Amino acid sequence: MTYRPTRRQVTALAVVVAAIVLPPLLSRLIPGVFTDARASMLGIGVTYAAMALSLNLLMGYAGQISLGHGALLATGAYTSGILTGRYGWSYMFGVMVAMVMGAAIAFIVGLPALRLRGIYLAITTLGFAAVMDAAILKIPYLSRGSAGVELPRPVANTFIFTENADYLALILVITTVVWLLDANVVRTKLGRAFFGIREDERVAQSFGVDVARYKMIAFMLSGALAGLAGAMHGHLLLFVESRTFAFPLFSLTIVAFVVIGGLGSRVGVVVAAASFGVVPQLLRAVQGWDLILGSALLIFAMARHPGGVAGAIAEAREKKEIRAARRQGEEDDASTQPLPDLAALPLPISDTPTATSGPLLEVRDIHVTFGGLKAVDGADLVVPEGKIIGLIGPNGAGKTTLFNTISGFVTPDAGVLKLRGNDIGALAPHQRAQAGLGRTFQLVGLAKRLSVHQNLLLAQHARANYGLISSLAYLPRAGRTEADLEARATEALEAIGFAEFADRPIDQLSGGQQRIVEIACALMNAPDLLMLDEPSAGMAPGVIESLALRLRQLRDELGRTILIIEHHIPLVMDVCDEVWVMASGRTLAHGSPQEVIARTDVIEAYLGAPTLAGVGGVPRSAAAGLGRPAARGMGG
Amino acid sequence: MGQALVSGVVVGGIFGLLAVGIVLVYKGARVINFAQAEIGTFCLYVAYFVVDGDDGLGLPWIVGALAALVIGGLVSFAFERLVVRRMFGAERLSVAVATIGLLLLLFSLELKFFGSAPRFLAKPIDGLGPKVFGIFVSPTQLLALVAALAIGFGLTAFLQRTDFGLGVLAAAEDANAARLVGVPLARVSAFSWTVAGALSVIAAVLVEPTIGIFFPGVMTLLFVPALAAALVGGLSSIAGAFVGGLVIGVVDQVVRYLFLGSSIAAPEIIASFLVILVVLLIRPQGLLARRAA
Repeated sequence: MTYRPTRRQVTALAVVVAAIVLPPLLSRLIPGVFTDARASMLGIGVTYAAMALSLNLLMGYAGQISLGHGALLATGAYTSGILTGRYGWSYMFGVMVAMVMGAAIAFIVGLPALRLRGIYLAITTLGFAAVMDAAILKIPYLSRGSAGVELPRPVANTFIFTENADYLALILVITTVVWLLDANVVRTKLGRAFFGIREDERVAQSFGVDVARYKMIAFMLSGALAGLAGAMHGHLLLFVESRTFAFPLFSLTIVAFVVIGGLGSRVGVVVAAASFGVVPQLLRAVQGWDLILGSALLIFAMARHPGGVAGAIAEAREKKEIRAARRQGEEDDASTQPLPDLAALPLPISDTPTATSGPLLEVRDIHVTFGGLKAVDGADLVVPEGKIIGLIGPNGAGKTTLFNTISGFVTPDAGVLKLRGNDIGALAPHQRAQAGLGRTFQLVGLAKRLSVHQNLLLAQHARANYGLISSLAYLPRAGRTEADLEARATEALEAIGFAEFADRPIDQLSGGQQRIVEIACALMNAPDLLMLDEPSAGMAPGVIESLALRLRQLRDELGRTILIIEHHIPLVMDVCDEVWVMASGRTLAHGSPQEVIARTDVIEAYLGAPTLAGVGGVPRSAAAGLGRPAARGMGG
Repeated sequence: MGQALVSGVVVGGIFGLLAVGIVLVYKGARVINFAQAEIGTFCLYVAYFVVDGDDGLGLPWIVGALAALVIGGLVSFAFERLVVRRMFGAERLSVAVATIGLLLLLFSLELKFFGSAPRFLAKPIDGLGPKVFGIFVSPTQLLALVAALAIGFGLTAFLQRTDFGLGVLAAAEDANAARLVGVPLARVSAFSWTVAGALSVIAAVLVEPTIGIFFPGVMTLLFVPALAAALVGGLSSIAGAFVGGLVIGVVDQVVRYLFLGSSIAAPEIIASFLVILVVLLIRPQGLLARRAA
């Protein structure tokens, strides 16, 4: 078989060749136009672009705000400078150690991310950068007084990259490689895990993503790239000191690159950063006004297009699509379409559950307190294999808390959780997901801004068994696995009838459609136990009927076990083999639906104190009415 | 040590004023205003232009200080009107980046018109000042302390005792609910930003005599400690932010004193950072806030 390169590979190769050839050639052919100063200016544009890619990976992809990236850039520049300038190491090794140091420091900066999110995490990164600037970079060994660190240009055999144009060619090639790595991150499970964390950490965990691990990977990858970018920048300037990455202006400016380019948009941030590098230098003619104009423009651009360049483009495209749709008079509200044939979903054959003797899930005497509030106060639950078990109870009974305890989001004060007889109490949420617990959420557990297709891929995270290096280099192993996942996702799209919505973001689907995609995603992992939290919420009455049919199909045809929290009592009566009732944090009763619904203590729990009418069972209609407490969708 | 404690309280008042500005804006807009401190630097240049005999108009100190105060309030007010309000439904990060734009704009204006060389402002009051616990407290320090305390208490009283002030607090809790009961959100937002800008100027004018000189970006050096102070109050309490400022101020000065002559540079910044970490990791709701149920 002859080797046929893909279009992507041809393009990449062409860019690399152009990067190597063009700058040196132009500087020698037209030295009057392509001057040394201009080559340096372009070089700054390139290093800024590399810095922006580094921060974009962390902020845009993984959603972790870093306001102190300057500290990581400085780490790279100082490391490489000291190794090459003072100890005579080669450029290559200097830069490689700079990347390692960048990753190591980023690891430290990222540690608080295991506890903190959003603005609080951002503040710690800012604080770290302040320490780096005021204390660490002032250490005499690093700063040599105020002399700073010299960074010599690289040497290859006898050739020295003294000419800015030659060095520009080198850093262009390196930045192109960074770009390609970045593209590989996005198209593998690595990027999807990052997006999942950005969108909703719990959802990512429910799909088996080890959030802590991937957060640290994001920090370290970003740190390594920052180390590289900082070193390239330093070797371009030939010299760095504490003001090169001036705190906090430099760090905040890179944040501006990334936001103005459009968070998560590789093209956008590179364009934004490169223009910030190049344009002010072009404005040098108007001495001192460059920064003023640049910052005024930044404010203006943000006020006008808060989503940045990429956001503005996407918005324009969306408007065009909506106009086109209006012209066709398209009606795409499919919230009333019946539930698709879930049993047709492509489950891996090997994953048909194997029968065991004991119950599938065993929950014993769980206690959970929030502050002083006893949310769950001694709950039991037994889920036998191959059954549909209902969990009902009034709002605030602790049903969702119990669900969250089973899936590991809530740590109980006491109690035992066993899956197939094995204690899972010590497992993290993503480990429980991998052990066979699949679930949906009351408020739809999907990555809302990702497309249906991307969600179906993210849902298969645990099945993508290739490593970090395979991801970054997109090795054949990753390629093969991705092709399999793609095939299953496409099959699933067809099975649920969403082929035409494949690229639509979840938040642009109706509530009922979101539920369907959510259940399909939960099934992609072929969970032994599927836990559904109010699946009928947001569904039209007709769809709920088809839900009953599909749930039975999952049980009978695929042998799945289902645990379902549901307020819609007719559905519970219809599909459940057994029902457990919770009230005030306790499991009150369990038995067949008919038995349970007739018990006075159950009715009491729903309706309050016993009345004459409540004694000795309730009419069917009243029981059905139980499913509509006032504050729907919030409790549980 | 006594000196460190006294100056800690003075510097703490300054941090407190900046922190109150950060909290006011954060409560209303859910945004950290990165330009909060730099508005003060910018207006120091305004005051310098008015007061200095050689480079400027040579008017009395108080005229310069008032001009700075007015300009500071106006800059912040204009930013709220022209930028923040237009970004009502936007991602909060985008608004934060707009404030980064303001920080860069102010910084580059300072650099363009006054250069990077340090300047100094004539002191409002000269003399040795009274002796407290055997330590001379300079009149400007005394003025700073009194002014910071008066403003801290005054603002808290205003917010808690007047209808408009309660509206500001209510809007911070739940903007929609506040609007439904008739709180004018637009005016509340304009008020918060304007006052925050003015607070930054007051902090800058009061701290300048203690630092002695100023240069582009000088107040932003105080941004991290001020942020630490705001966090001690849980980013939500005006009084908490002010007390947080005093705590950070004393820590700052005591650490400087203890590490005097040591080879560790900027130990006070390290201390601020540690306070931030400890507060966030152990009590994210703030050291002084009541634990939410």
